[in-house]
Amino acid sequence: MDRRLSHSETIGLGALGLMSLIGLWAAISGFGLVPDQFLPTPIAVIGRFIDLFREPFAGFTLQQHLSSSLMRYLYGLLLAAVIGIPLGLAMGWFRTLDDVVTPIFEGLRFIAPIAWVPFAALWFGTGIGGPIMIIFAGAFPPCLINAYRGARFVEPRLIEAARMLGTGHRRMLMEILLPASLPSVMAGVRVAAGLGWQSLVGAELIVASAGVGFMMVQAQASVQTPTVMAGMIAIGITGLLIDVALRQGEGLLRHRLGAD
Amino acid sequence: MGPRRFLIGFATLSALGLLWYGATSVTGLVSSGRFPSPIETYTAFQQIAWRGYAGGTLPAHALHSIRLVAMGFAVAVATGVPLGLLMGSSRKAEALINPVFLLIRPIPPLAWIPLAILWLGLGDAAKIMVIWFAAFVPAVINTFSGVRSIEHPVIEAARMLGTPPWRFVMEVVAPAASPMIFTGLRLSLQASWTTLVAAELVGALFGLGRVLNLAQQDIYPGMILVGMIAVALCGWMTTRFLAFGEARALAWRHFEAKPAR
Amino acid sequence: MAAIRFDKVQKYFGRGDKRMHALSNINLEIEDREFLAIVGPSGCGKTTCLRLVAGFDAASEGSVSVAGKPVMKPGPDRAVVFQQFALFPWKTVRGNIDLGLRNKAIGFEEREKRIADVLKLMNLETYADAFPHQLSGGMQQRVAIARAYVLDPEVLLMDEPFGALDAQTRVVMQEELVRLARVQPRTVLFITHAVEEAVYLADRIAVMTRRPGRIKELVDVKSVRDAEKWNRFERIEDVMDLDSFVHLRTGIWRSLREEKNG
Repeated sequence: MDRRLSHSETIGLGALGLMSLIGLWAAISGFGLVPDQFLPTPIAVIGRFIDLFREPFAGFTLQQHLSSSLMRYLYGLLLAAVIGIPLGLAMGWFRTLDDVVTPIFEGLRFIAPIAWVPFAALWFGTGIGGPIMIIFAGAFPPCLINAYRGARFVEPRLIEAARMLGTGHRRMLMEILLPASLPSVMAGVRVAAGLGWQSLVGAELIVASAGVGFMMVQAQASVQTPTVMAGMIAIGITGLLIDVALRQGEGLLRHRLGAD
Repeated sequence: MGPRRFLIGFATLSALGLLWYGATSVTGLVSSGRFPSPIETYTAFQQIAWRGYAGGTLPAHALHSIRLVAMGFAVAVATGVPLGLLMGSSRKAEALINPVFLLIRPIPPLAWIPLAILWLGLGDAAKIMVIWFAAFVPAVINTFSGVRSIEHPVIEAARMLGTPPWRFVMEVVAPAASPMIFTGLRLSLQASWTTLVAAELVGALFGLGRVLNLAQQDIYPGMILVGMIAVALCGWMTTRFLAFGEARALAWRHFEAKPAR
Repeated sequence: MAAIRFDKVQKYFGRGDKRMHALSNINLEIEDREFLAIVGPSGCGKTTCLRLVAGFDAASEGSVSVAGKPVMKPGPDRAVVFQQFALFPWKTVRGNIDLGLRNKAIGFEEREKRIADVLKLMNLETYADAFPHQLSGGMQQRVAIARAYVLDPEVLLMDEPFGALDAQTRVVMQEELVRLARVQPRTVLFITHAVEEAVYLADRIAVMTRRPGRIKELVDVKSVRDAEKWNRFERIEDVMDLDSFVHLRTGIWRSLREEKNG
């Protein structure tokens, strides 16, 4: 739109933005404009974040909470991928299956994943099963939809070319349709990972007996604002790392498939 | 939708209905403590529709939730779209705001719920705050990329016509970005509902999430299902409403080509 | 005073190692009501010349002035017709034409009158309330020309305006432009890579070298056109058959080919 900025301008302005945010936070909390339980100073939050690795809160240290969150997360995401991707691919390739599943899926689509919480708690309890189901509910739709789109919208010319070369049914699936759908599948997994992480947090806030979300609700109940904010930081960093890892993986895959 | 699709879809849904009835009411394969039968669901619906549950009737709960979503969504749109327009049109604004955005964005909106309750309590204000946070991000991001993907000649055409800044934003930048803006708003609306339900499940005095929460505590599967269906219907209705607005605002894209003389 | 004047213009893009010399010492004067076409090999900087006059880019050295005033920024006194039309798809034909007039703060009645006139001039009357995507490419470019003409600009800048059109439409638009130049002559800077188009339309042709672009040669078409009375023909193919036309065209082609072979 307007003139491009030089490198130093970008960095300078960015630093200015960040510093004003943190400065504002420090000023409001540091000068006692609001009570400490309302907004603790940045230092207090970071101190709390470090402390939580040593002293347990709500029964566990932060790394223990994190690992139980991650465990549930991986199970839920894996389940969503294992069911959603093959189903989506099959729906893309076989029209009848598409016609059968789509109406069901359209009906379920408008139920927010979090709204499954009561049934999840009822069916699988609040330990590990309930939250896994919520993560599944969040991560399943993008897995399914993207696999479906990837399979449904394979470049027709590729299929025609393969047919012209006399490719058999099985080989067509494995060597043409599957690789052609992969980039879209991978993008779906990345979206699913984000939504699953989001759902995990929600699930842990409502039904769980361990995990970062659980820690945050407990801290909220006992008005320990620094612990709540430390939990937010932990969730933010972990989510970011997951996203970065998946982006890398996606980039590698696309590169291998020559999709760039 | 072709007749074949419609028929298969209809058959599937009917089969599902029969399966539901068979598994819960005829064979008792699924116990009513786990999933309600159609009759139990209807009874729960009767109860909440006329006598009320969790402190109110279904329409009252639904209206309360819709009102909160509408308010949070409206605040998010009123702040997010202008910010996206600003960041899109000015690289300085982008450089200034983007790092802050990158810092806050990885925190899922639902993670703000405990803080919102600490700050604002269990009332409406906390819900509106988290909905705002949740709906804000997609509004900003999509508006921003909508502005950045405007074709260069269109911008240059407006500049060579001597368009003053305010008119430039309102009559060129905003309409050019509007398809992307509406994509963002659809995502924002979806995020609004997810966040509201989560926030109401964590703690609320009224609303559809409160119905779900109480039904869970009462182990009342019929009411849980009614609550879920109500949430889905409300979500669907607001989505239709937004789609209607989108069709009106983007009407210029949908006119048929004029036959050449 | 010349309508457009390039004075010792140099243009570089990028900085440091990636600096690219785009234009080298451009000196050019375009007279009032003159139609000047710039032709040259692709990437030679012809479009950059136009963008300097339009005010989209600034010269690195030297100056570009229009009607004696140095160009600072884009404005409606230098209307541009783009290759990709660059119409506003959310505005009707009338809305597209109206925007520049509104920017000049012209009163409603005056605007209505000028829009009606230009719609008639460009044979667009029946399309006033259509949206751009409802029209064919040729029609869209008519709207773009109307949008520029209605402003009554000092100069009209046309950047390969017919480059995106199919061959038949292109011919129609070229003839249309000749007609327009007769009815309402304007100072025009016309960028093209099609030599025939340049010879058919322009009074004078500037041939540019490869990058860094210089003006290699200025060809006077107008004196030949007047002497040989090209105007007696309505159709482009009749003009293109004339020996005088072929002679000019071949000369420019040779000159360009030298550039391509480097």
